[in-house]
Amino acid sequence: MAASLELRNVEKRYGDFVAVARLSLAVPAGVIFGLLGPNGAGKTTTLRMIMDILAPDAGEVLLFGRPRRPADLRRIGYLPEERGLYRKMTVIDQLLFLAEIHGMKRRQALPAVEEWLARVELADWGQKKVEELSKGMQQKVQLIGTVLHQPEILILDEPFSGLDPINQGLFKDLLLEYRRLGRTILFSTHGMAQAEKLCDHIGLISRGRLVLDGELKEIKRQASGNAYRLVAPIAPADLERVKALPGIEAVLPRDDGARLLLAVGASGPQLLRRLVEFLEVSEFRSEEPDLEDIFIKAVGDAA
Amino acid sequence: MRLDYAVIIGKREYLARIRTKGFWIATVAVPAFIGALVLGPSLLMSKTSTEQRLAIVDATGTGLGRELKAALEAGEPAAATPGAQPGAMNTGGEHGANVTGAQPDTKTAPGEPGARTGGAAGGGRRGGAGHVHFSVRLLVQEPGRTAAGHRELDAMAQRREIGAWIRLDRDGLAANRFEYHAESLSNVITQEALERRVSEVVGRWRLRQAGLDAAKIDALVHPLAVQTVRISATGSRAEGGAAGFFLAFVLFFMLYMGILIYGNQVMQGVLEEKGSRIIEVLSAAVKPTELMLGKLGGICLVALTQMAIWAAALAVLTAPGLLAAMVAMPPELALPVLHPALWLNFFLLFLCGFFLFATFYAMLGAAFNSLQEAQQLAGLPAIFVVAPAVFMVQIINDPDSALSVGLSLVPPLTPLVMMLRIATRMPPLWQLLAAYGLCAAAIAVMIWVCARVYRVGILMYGKKPTLQEIWRWVRHA
Repeated sequence: MAASLELRNVEKRYGDFVAVARLSLAVPAGVIFGLLGPNGAGKTTTLRMIMDILAPDAGEVLLFGRPRRPADLRRIGYLPEERGLYRKMTVIDQLLFLAEIHGMKRRQALPAVEEWLARVELADWGQKKVEELSKGMQQKVQLIGTVLHQPEILILDEPFSGLDPINQGLFKDLLLEYRRLGRTILFSTHGMAQAEKLCDHIGLISRGRLVLDGELKEIKRQASGNAYRLVAPIAPADLERVKALPGIEAVLPRDDGARLLLAVGASGPQLLRRLVEFLEVSEFRSEEPDLEDIFIKAVGDAA
Repeated sequence: MRLDYAVIIGKREYLARIRTKGFWIATVAVPAFIGALVLGPSLLMSKTSTEQRLAIVDATGTGLGRELKAALEAGEPAAATPGAQPGAMNTGGEHGANVTGAQPDTKTAPGEPGARTGGAAGGGRRGGAGHVHFSVRLLVQEPGRTAAGHRELDAMAQRREIGAWIRLDRDGLAANRFEYHAESLSNVITQEALERRVSEVVGRWRLRQAGLDAAKIDALVHPLAVQTVRISATGSRAEGGAAGFFLAFVLFFMLYMGILIYGNQVMQGVLEEKGSRIIEVLSAAVKPTELMLGKLGGICLVALTQMAIWAAALAVLTAPGLLAAMVAMPPELALPVLHPALWLNFFLLFLCGFFLFATFYAMLGAAFNSLQEAQQLAGLPAIFVVAPAVFMVQIINDPDSALSVGLSLVPPLTPLVMMLRIATRMPPLWQLLAAYGLCAAAIAVMIWVCARVYRVGILMYGKKPTLQEIWRWVRHA
C-alpha cells in the first residue's frame, strides 16, 4: 500500500533536549493510524513538523509520495491539541474563513457549511457568535472547520481529549466514515483503549523514538501468549518478589492481584510453579495482550 | 510568502474590527474629544468671563484710583486692529522721548523690554485669554497713612465680600509696583489681566503728567499685533501662526495616537489569537509571516479607514463659513490650507510609524501569554513617540535646525518629527527621501526579526519567556 505520509529520519532538538530523534514512519493510504505514547514523548512535535509549523533540524517529510510542498498542506485537515476559535465571530463567518484559508472559495464553501451545521444539529446557530455557544457546540464547530475542505489526510492531535461523550461519538463516526472513503487518518493519543478500538495501524513512540510500529492485528498476534492474569492476595513485599522472578518483564498491579507480562520465551506454567511457593493463587490464566501491555513491553525492550 | 493568504487574513481582521461598536464609538469620540480639548478652552474664554470683585485702596492722593476704577469697570480695550495706526510706531520704553509720530518706516520697536508690561506686546495677542470682568470698590486714603483699614479689607475678603484688594501708593508707583492681597494667589489669569490694565492706566496717567494730551496718548500707545504670512511654493498667504501650530499639533496628535493605539491593537489581537488557541489552527494553513503581515495590513487599513472618516469630517466642518458660524474664530486662527503634499506625507508617515511599531507589538503579542506579561515591554515604543513630543516646541519653532533634521532621520522618531517639520515648513526633498528610505530599511529589519519571534512565540504557552530566550528564537527560528 502506498504511503500517503512519510517521515524520514526526522529530528527536532531544543538545545540539548532531543524532542524527536531520527524518526522514520510511513502512514499507508486509507488507514487509521494511531501515534501512541505518553505525554512528552514527542507526538505533538512530530505532528507539528508534518504540518510545517515546526521546522525539523534534520530529515524529510513526504506527502502524497513526494517531498512536501506548501500547497499540499491544504489537502490536510489538521486539528491541533491546542485548539480554538475566534470568539467574536459568528459560526458561519468563522467556518467560511477557515474554508478560505484552506483554499476554498466562499461561494463553494457556504453550502458545505450549511450541510455540516445541519448534520451536527447546529443549523439554528449559524448566525450566533462562537462565544454564545456551549463548549460542546464549539467542539462541533471546530470539527467542521477541520473537515470542511474535504481533506485527503486528517491529522488530529489528541482528538478525544476534552470532548464530551456525544462529540467523542461524532468524532469516531467521522473517522470511520473517512476510512470507508479511503482517506487517511493519523491521530495521536495517550489513551490506549481508544486507539485499540479504532486503529488499523499504530506507531509507539517514547522519548522521541519510535519503539514499535505496524498493523495492530499483527502486533497483537506476535505479542499473544505473553500476558497472564494472576488472582491472589499480594502483599507489597511479595510484589517485589514477583517482579524479581526470572522471565517476568513487568507486573501491573490490579485490585485482586496483578497482570504479568512475560519475556519472550518465558513459560507461564513454570512461572506458576514459582508463584505458588509464596502466594495463595486462586486463578492464573493466559490473556490477550492489550495495547498498554504491548507499549510497556516495547518501551522496556527499547530501553 | 503568498500574498493571497495574507489578504484573506487581513480581510477577516479588517471586517471583524470595522464591525465592532468600539470602532465607531472611537471614531466619533476621538474627534469630539480633540475638538473639546482644542476649541473648548478658547470657546469658554470667549463666551464667559471671570468676575472679580476688587477693592482699590488709592493712597496716591492723585485721583489715580478713580481713573483705574473707571478703566477696570469699562472692560478690556478692543484688540489691536493691524494697520489702523500706520504712523505711530515708536512707543518703546527707551524711545519714549522720541515721540515724532511721523516716521513712516516699519521700525517695530526693536528692543522692547520695558514695554512688555506696557501692554503693547501683550494686549492684542492675549486679548482672548484675559476676559476678566471687574467690579470695583474704591477707598481713597490720605497719602502717607499706611496699613489703616487693611484689617477690615482682609476681613471682607475672608467673608467673600470682595475677592481681592490692591493698594496704590506713591512709593509703589516710584518703584513700579502695586500690592495685590487675596486669599488665593493662584488666579494667574486674573492677576495678569489686572497687572496689564493697571500698567496701562498708570502709563497713560504718567504720560499725561508728562504733559501729553489724552487723545494723542491713545493714538501713541495703541498696541500692535503681528500679522503672519506664510511663504510657500504656491505663493505667500496671510495665515495664522497659531493656526500653523494648531495644524502641526493636530497632525502630530493623530499620528501619535494612531501609532500607539493601533500598535496596541495588533498586540492584543495576537495575544487573543494565542489565548484562544486558534493560532495553531491558522498556522497549519497559513505561514507565520503571511499571518503577521495579513494582520498588520488589516489593522492598518482599519486605522486608515478611521482617519479617512475623520479627514472627511474635517473637510466638511472646515468648509468655508461652517466652523466660523459655530465658533467665533479669532482672526489669528484662520485655518491653514491643507495641501495634497501634506496629506500624502501624513499617509506615508503613518504607514512608516505603524509598520515600525506594530511589528514590534506583534512580536510582543506572540512572545508573551497575557497583556500583563507584555505590558513591561509594551511601554518601550512610547519612548520613541514621547521623545518627539518633548522636542515639539523646538521643532515647530525651527524645523530646519540641526536638532530637527537629525531627529527626523532616526527611523523610530521619523514619523512624528517629520510630521511636525512638514506641517511647519516643507523640508528639502533629499531629507524626505532619506527619511523614507531609512524607515523602509528599518521596517524590513523589523519584519524579519519579528517574523522569527512570531514563528516560535505563537506556539509557546505557559512560561513567560526571558529576553535571552526571545533573542535565541530570533537566531534559531
